[in-house]
Amino acid sequence: MSLIKEKDYGTPARPGEATVAVEIDGKTVTVPEGTSVLRAAAEVGIDIPKLCATDNLEPFGSCRLCLVDIDGRKGSPASCTTPVAPGMKVRTQTPKLAELRRGVMELYISDHPLDCLTCPANGDCELQDMAGVVGLREVRYGFDGENHLDEPTDSSNPYFDFDASKCIACSRCVRACDEVQGTFALTLEGRGFDTKIAAGAGGTFMESDCVSCGACVQACPTSTLQERSVVQLGMPNRTVLTTCAYCGVGCSFKAELRGDEVVRMVPYKDGKANEGHSCVKGRFAFGYASHPDRQLKPMMRERITDPWREVEWEEAIGYVGRRMLEIQSLHGMGAIGGITSSRCTNEEVYAVQKMVRAAFGNNNVDTCARVCHSPTGYGLKQTYGTSAGTQDFKSVDQADVILVIGANPTDAHPVFASRIKRRLRKGAQLIVADPRKIDLVRSPHVEAQHHLRVMPGTNVALINAMGHVVVTEGLVDREFVAERCEDFSEWERFIADPEHSPEAVEEITGIPAADLRAATRLYAGARNATIMYGLGVTEHSQGSTMVMGMANLAMATGNIGREGVGVNPLRGQNNVQGSCDMGSFPHELPGYRHVSDDAVRSTFETLWGAVLQSEPGLRIPNMFDAAVDGSFRALFVQGEDIVQSDPNTKHVTGALSSMDLVVVQDLFLNETSKYAHVFLPGTSFLEKNGTFTNAERRINRVRPVMAPKTGKHEWQIVCEIAQAMGYPMKYDDSSQIMDEIAMTTPTFSGVSFAKLDEVGSVQWPCNEGAPEGTPIMHIDGFVRGRGRFMETVYVPTQERSTRKYPLILTTGRILSQYNVGAQTRRTGNSAWHPEDLLEMHPHDAEVRGIRDGDTVALASRIGETSLRVKIDDRMPVGVVYTTFHHPVTGANVVTTENSDWATNCPEYKVTAVQVTLTHPVATHPAPVLVK
Amino acid sequence: MTSTHTPPHVRLANEIAAQFQRRDPALAAQVIADHIQSFWDPRMRSRLIADAGVSGSGMDPLVVAAAALLPPPSDTHTELRPL
Amino acid sequence: MSGPDETVTVYVPRDSAARSVGADEVAEGVAATAAGRPIRVVRTGSRGMLWLEPLVEVATAAGRIAYGPVAPEDVEELVAAGMLDGAEHRLRLGPVEDIDWLRDQTRVTFARVGVVDPLSAEDYTAHGGMAGLRRALSLTPEEVVAEVTESGLRGRGGAGFPAGIKWKTVQQAESALKFVCCNADEGDSGTFADRMLMEGDPFTLIEGMTIAAWAAGAQEGYIYIRSEYPDAVATLRTAIEIAYTRGWLGRNILGSELSFDLFVRVGGGAYICGEETSMLESLEGKRGMVRAKPPIPALEGLFGKPTVVNNVLTLGSVPMILADGAEAFARHGVGRSRGTQVFQLGGNVARGGIVETAFGITLGELVEGYGGGTRSGRPVRTVQVGGPLGAYLPTSRFDLPMDYEAFAAANAMVGHGGVVVFDDTVDMAGQARFAMEFCAAESCGKCTPCRIGAVRGVEVIDRIVAGEDRPANLKLLNDLCDLMTEGSLCAMGGLTPMPVKSALAHFPGDFGTTTEEQR
Repeated sequence: MSLIKEKDYGTPARPGEATVAVEIDGKTVTVPEGTSVLRAAAEVGIDIPKLCATDNLEPFGSCRLCLVDIDGRKGSPASCTTPVAPGMKVRTQTPKLAELRRGVMELYISDHPLDCLTCPANGDCELQDMAGVVGLREVRYGFDGENHLDEPTDSSNPYFDFDASKCIACSRCVRACDEVQGTFALTLEGRGFDTKIAAGAGGTFMESDCVSCGACVQACPTSTLQERSVVQLGMPNRTVLTTCAYCGVGCSFKAELRGDEVVRMVPYKDGKANEGHSCVKGRFAFGYASHPDRQLKPMMRERITDPWREVEWEEAIGYVGRRMLEIQSLHGMGAIGGITSSRCTNEEVYAVQKMVRAAFGNNNVDTCARVCHSPTGYGLKQTYGTSAGTQDFKSVDQADVILVIGANPTDAHPVFASRIKRRLRKGAQLIVADPRKIDLVRSPHVEAQHHLRVMPGTNVALINAMGHVVVTEGLVDREFVAERCEDFSEWERFIADPEHSPEAVEEITGIPAADLRAATRLYAGARNATIMYGLGVTEHSQGSTMVMGMANLAMATGNIGREGVGVNPLRGQNNVQGSCDMGSFPHELPGYRHVSDDAVRSTFETLWGAVLQSEPGLRIPNMFDAAVDGSFRALFVQGEDIVQSDPNTKHVTGALSSMDLVVVQDLFLNETSKYAHVFLPGTSFLEKNGTFTNAERRINRVRPVMAPKTGKHEWQIVCEIAQAMGYPMKYDDSSQIMDEIAMTTPTFSGVSFAKLDEVGSVQWPCNEGAPEGTPIMHIDGFVRGRGRFMETVYVPTQERSTRKYPLILTTGRILSQYNVGAQTRRTGNSAWHPEDLLEMHPHDAEVRGIRDGDTVALASRIGETSLRVKIDDRMPVGVVYTTFHHPVTGANVVTTENSDWATNCPEYKVTAVQVTLTHPVATHPAPVLVK
Repeated sequence: MTSTHTPPHVRLANEIAAQFQRRDPALAAQVIADHIQSFWDPRMRSRLIADAGVSGSGMDPLVVAAAALLPPPSDTHTELRPL
Repeated sequence: MSGPDETVTVYVPRDSAARSVGADEVAEGVAATAAGRPIRVVRTGSRGMLWLEPLVEVATAAGRIAYGPVAPEDVEELVAAGMLDGAEHRLRLGPVEDIDWLRDQTRVTFARVGVVDPLSAEDYTAHGGMAGLRRALSLTPEEVVAEVTESGLRGRGGAGFPAGIKWKTVQQAESALKFVCCNADEGDSGTFADRMLMEGDPFTLIEGMTIAAWAAGAQEGYIYIRSEYPDAVATLRTAIEIAYTRGWLGRNILGSELSFDLFVRVGGGAYICGEETSMLESLEGKRGMVRAKPPIPALEGLFGKPTVVNNVLTLGSVPMILADGAEAFARHGVGRSRGTQVFQLGGNVARGGIVETAFGITLGELVEGYGGGTRSGRPVRTVQVGGPLGAYLPTSRFDLPMDYEAFAAANAMVGHGGVVVFDDTVDMAGQARFAMEFCAAESCGKCTPCRIGAVRGVEVIDRIVAGEDRPANLKLLNDLCDLMTEGSLCAMGGLTPMPVKSALAHFPGDFGTTTEEQR
């Protein structure tokens, strides 16, 4: 495969029905009103030369290469900034235009290094291309004039250089930062010939607000902004289209390679989730895949205190199979189980749950979604009938009000955050419900109309108060409710009770009643209002209740079933949605069908040739409890570091220590493998062949750029373990697994690798009823028939601040790092976040005598850890915050056993803690003045 | 505050019951029983049923009522695999 | 004649041009020297006869008697000589209205400048102020637009776009919020009329903008003044405060349904911010950089809202048009250039200053007649009309009438009406080089022809002057000028070739070449 270059139409497509017909070089083209002449020409294959124009940025009109002749208009207008007009006759090639374009290029090249042959962008440079296109043969100005050739290079960013000597001041980088990313970190400084690109207030890129999303690098038409990997490795020569393996946005990337070596990851313009945008993780943080820390051979040991010894696959797999059987023969069929990973492909996850159900003969399979979005699955299934978000990302472009609850998209879902910000800059209004003043509350050109600073643990009181306002202020969409929903009158009676009024719950939530009322009116009064939420909703003792509360609110206001509305989880991991879809829960077979459903079970039993259990198995926390009590003794863990990521670390390690067999399949030795007997090396996303399903139910292809470095695909290992246990399980390749999923699961029946390769991606349900997938759900009716209103009683969490533990700890993620950090810590991203910090309001710090940078002890009733403090008034008084990216932090040493009542999703977001100063930051002695 | 010494199945069942305190007790017991039947592993249900009759178990009365509605769980998980 | 006990009124300009040659000291001197005699010193705008500044006027029964130029050290002598009674003196110019230089002009926009106390609302209304706004408010906005259209008023900033058409576009644009922006970033060398109007009769501008707001349906107005004009900024800010207290601004202006708020914003020193789209960027708090058009500001202007953008003189002409009717204005002028233009004579000129007269006067009448030739006394060699981007015209073109179309036909432009005079010592290659240098220094840096082209232009002219491969470099300069004219984003780069090419065309010898060689 050669390098893929997407066509650049020069200016963005314009939406709209009305069209205009124009004649360009004798060809008639009909395009939507507002389309530029440049784009209209490109539509009929006429590529007008250009440098400052590119189709993900608004036209700018600076390079003056795209000048054209238009009948009846004087001069030579720039085709990028000239919209089509009815009957317009355009000529793109005349001797005069050729002269002008050559003149422009002559000027450019008179101030550009003549080092094409040694330039890293040689062959991938629009400036070079344009010089050729316009037929530049000489530069009559010579090269001795004033120039920028001595401008310095800024190499402060770990991933790219900014070589100012090559800059043509087209401003594409600045505009990409503004328009695509929405960070506004770059600017043009100076006038005239002194115009140059500056990061922030003129310092380096690293000193500026730059978030290293790579949009500027991609936008640069020269080698001014260049990936350092290209400088070091040379231009890639082939492309593999694949999907990012970080967050649930599921960005499509072009992996650009030389041989098997990834030179760079470039966001793919036709990727529907990201439309050509990226963040610092997906774009740059892929180096972990070839990090020397990777364990590539299987390892075993008898006891966890023994040293590891590397073994061949056969021995490791044989041992696992044999021990699993032995343990079941001694302790029962239910004594073993497995955990699937949201980082793995649908096919790999499906294989694990199949192994558990068919080879282990039980339902003891769970997934790491248990600890993040299991309440989403429960809550939305109860109310709407399907365990997934309602919209596609693009839908937010039609939203007039966006309600973000318990999510921090600019850090955790950066590419989607950029889309939200774009919409906000176009005038949509924003409500943020979060204890912290997250970036979205106020950042360049974005400001929330309302920031509801809800106290951790009181979400349900908040959502009930919003429901109360809707019902008591006459904001209900009666028609929608009557036509589409059920159990409304019961809910109405419940929610109208004065105990839910904003005034009544003000003390609980900490939100001024007037503010809550105003925010609710804004949401309910919008033409289209949408809810986006994250783990700040789910990871609570009432996570499921809160999900149902949001579902109620959306139904009551008629905000379901069209573009711009809905209830949408922002999934944390690349394949949380998929791992849940694939039957990873102990009570559900693939497609969210209960194990007690005889018909469904029979489908699988017939196909798999195995008897399946009709009763649910153990959930992850139940597994730990059962391990402690001795009834659960062996665990297969696929790609999840449960010791670092699950709550109450001591309880987890206690459980693992008491087990007879712990098998870890992962890229790196991690905290969990310290308790493992067998380590089975896994594959990175660059080696996988399969699919990921993102937060919008979009099934994206993951294509291998190289063979597994370990010699085996993960699904092969799983099949071989099953075989070692006497269950025949075999596929020739992963596409056969997807075929099996499609065969057994109605929502997937139209999905195959061939289909995905043909159309790019599809959103499930994809079947006979929706052959091209389903971007928006519940359009004509809810999946469960009628949308069901659920009573959502607010039951306060048992975790409360006390005299001993007066602060509430809540946890989250930061942009540059990812979850337990196993990948990102092994990349240049640590330049931004080398350690987890405890964020604390100045007041809380002051009363404890704590200063910025001091090391403190963080203690809960469960445990104690130590970390440094960052004083930050983004925090409310009484709440502290940290991330959990570094194992040394041990954030989960302090988190508790509390969990969501319905799904046992841990209550990570609320832990009562105390913070005490242990090591003040060293004070520097005053400088001694030498006279 | 739930003591950490409370057995997990009792603690988890009480947390479910806490959500339905305001419902009619008979209805609440049925909802709780249905939930537990749908989502709990049989060994946990067995313990719940067994402890429901024991005084001083710390079990919410609604849980006790719900436990009475639960059918006997299967014991396939305890069956030993023939080698 | 006033007796010794009656209060004498003395007028001394507060205009910054007058102040720069000692008007403040003169005013203080008059007040101090007259101790014992009741005296009232009124600080006015300047009459525009800058070679006579500081020009002191004394109110007498025979009218206002002018003395000038009055140096601070002359005051004692003048008072002693009976200036306060209008007595004879070597500096006595007679009744100011009778000075032919002033008498021959048609002061419309500048009618009150130099006459009134700029910050006296009473003076303003006493001299016909607010009549235009009162009449406008009695008409519908559509009628106001029609009146302005009929008057033939064209943008005085340089482009000469018909004001009525622009206003109509804004009026018809659908938007809950619209703006009126006054471009007072008078950056062209040799121009000062905007400043003198703002310092000398600020209420005229306020009234003109308020009329524009009524016509266009705007709620807010901004006056963008260059930072080099601190006196104008202070005067306008004070005038705006007074206007609010009078009900001339704010809610329900003059009891009508019109509400309009007006603000002064000070520029940051960039020439390019006189270009309307750059000015809008700057008003929005951004770097002053040219926007591509379309969209035109009338539809998507300040903060993306429909916006009237007009120059000070344009808006300053509006009150008279409304007060006296379109016909009274259109009566003046020639061809499509109607009304009066406020010409500014500067450079090496004997009698510099403001000449407001109907369009159609010839260049020669302005320079030789009003201007009186050069200050140095040497022969005039060339004049540059329309600012630093205007053409250099030789004396052989002094027959040209001041008229937009006639100038365009001569590859020149009227622009903002600045006329800068040079004597026969001027080096036209140096002037051409300066045009490129100016462009290089003041370009916003957005488009390539202007950003890089201007720098290369300087270099190429240097090579031509140095005699390096002159035919090839002349061809290159010509190509570059064509590229800048055709390819630049705005008038800055687009017009820079005008002084260069006119210098080359009319004065080839200064470049060491001939007209033939250039061909």
